[in-house]
Amino acid sequence: MTRNTEVDFDVMVEKLAELKDTSELMIDLAYSALLLNSKELAEEVQRLEEHVDELHTEFELLVLSSGFRKEEAKGLLGLIRLGVAAEKISDAAAQIAEVVLRGIEPHQVLKLTIEEAEETIVYTTVTGESALVGKTLREARIPEETGMWILAIKRNGKCIRPRSDSRIQAGDIIIASGYAEGADDLRELASPSSKDLE
Amino acid sequence: MPLFEKVEYRPVPVRDLLLEMKNLSELMIDLAYSAALFNDRELAEEVLELEKQVDNLAYLLHIMNMIAARDARDAESLVGVSIVASAADKISDAAADIAAIVTRNIGVHSLVSEIFERVEKRLIRAKVPEKSIIVGKTIGELNLPPRMGIDILAILRGKNWIINPKEDEKIHAGDILIARGAPEGLKEFKEICEGIRGKMED
Repeated sequence: MTRNTEVDFDVMVEKLAELKDTSELMIDLAYSALLLNSKELAEEVQRLEEHVDELHTEFELLVLSSGFRKEEAKGLLGLIRLGVAAEKISDAAAQIAEVVLRGIEPHQVLKLTIEEAEETIVYTTVTGESALVGKTLREARIPEETGMWILAIKRNGKCIRPRSDSRIQAGDIIIASGYAEGADDLRELASPSSKDLE
Repeated sequence: MPLFEKVEYRPVPVRDLLLEMKNLSELMIDLAYSAALFNDRELAEEVLELEKQVDNLAYLLHIMNMIAARDARDAESLVGVSIVASAADKISDAAADIAAIVTRNIGVHSLVSEIFERVEKRLIRAKVPEKSIIVGKTIGELNLPPRMGIDILAILRGKNWIINPKEDEKIHAGDILIARGAPEGLKEFKEICEGIRGKMED
């Protein structure tokens, strides 16, 4: 068997990177769904879980058809197992999201835990005075400024997944995850001086 | 056969148990990927230890949950807590699976470093020489999360790993740090650690 081109390895890397990112994003989204008791976010997690399953299969097929050399077998087995672990993580996220879809009102303990955890989830409304209004996510540089990752934006009752060219509007609710320290910075950025009101 | 700790009732609030499970399970993912990326056996073994802790926490949480349910309505509301705790347990199992790739000498293909160049949340490993400005500073003083959007996951000092170091932990010369977070913050931090950069900006 001849070895396939380098391009296959590139696609393989791409797929595993996406598996890793998606599985971890899903955990944050699933906890957000619990925190907000949001069926929409929970459904998004379920959709992503299906996506991960497909991605995982594609990745495994790529590895198996890469025409690897015998001495590479062990290392590639390691990669396959990384993929399996990412898939397991995404299953766990789907399990968390399912609680919301089963119509169980998340217990207070769950909300408190998510809010107090080291990696917390915040949701904050963008007010008219915010410097974020009218900016795209790329321009807003929220991760650089606050250390918070944007998970979703809720607009007119609908959750949208952020893209770098999504434009922020007044009234949007930003759902983000990160260290507790960045949460206040994000709130201040989205609704200046809202802390005084709380 | 692994040794299992006997599970005994201890009155610990469910909230504390779940909080620790959530924190540990997410920390473990990053530690496990670090172990795979840097092919670090000791770190991988730490992850396997943490997995046992999470297992014990899960048992205790389920016990507490059972005691807390007084009627059918309580049980309906609390079952969600048990399911979420099981999910956190599953995440920690996945992290242990990653760690086992290292401890079982399977190892990961060198392609793995390319994968980590493309993911959003990066991991770095940096050694702190004596000339570094962070020597003698505590983790709290460095105040990394708001400054750079990064976090120190673990410190290797001599032969011992300090996992999830506390705020008052001081950085020593010779420490090896593992940090996670945004790529730009990590790049800056690595230079500061290694003494290439002599100043921390706000």
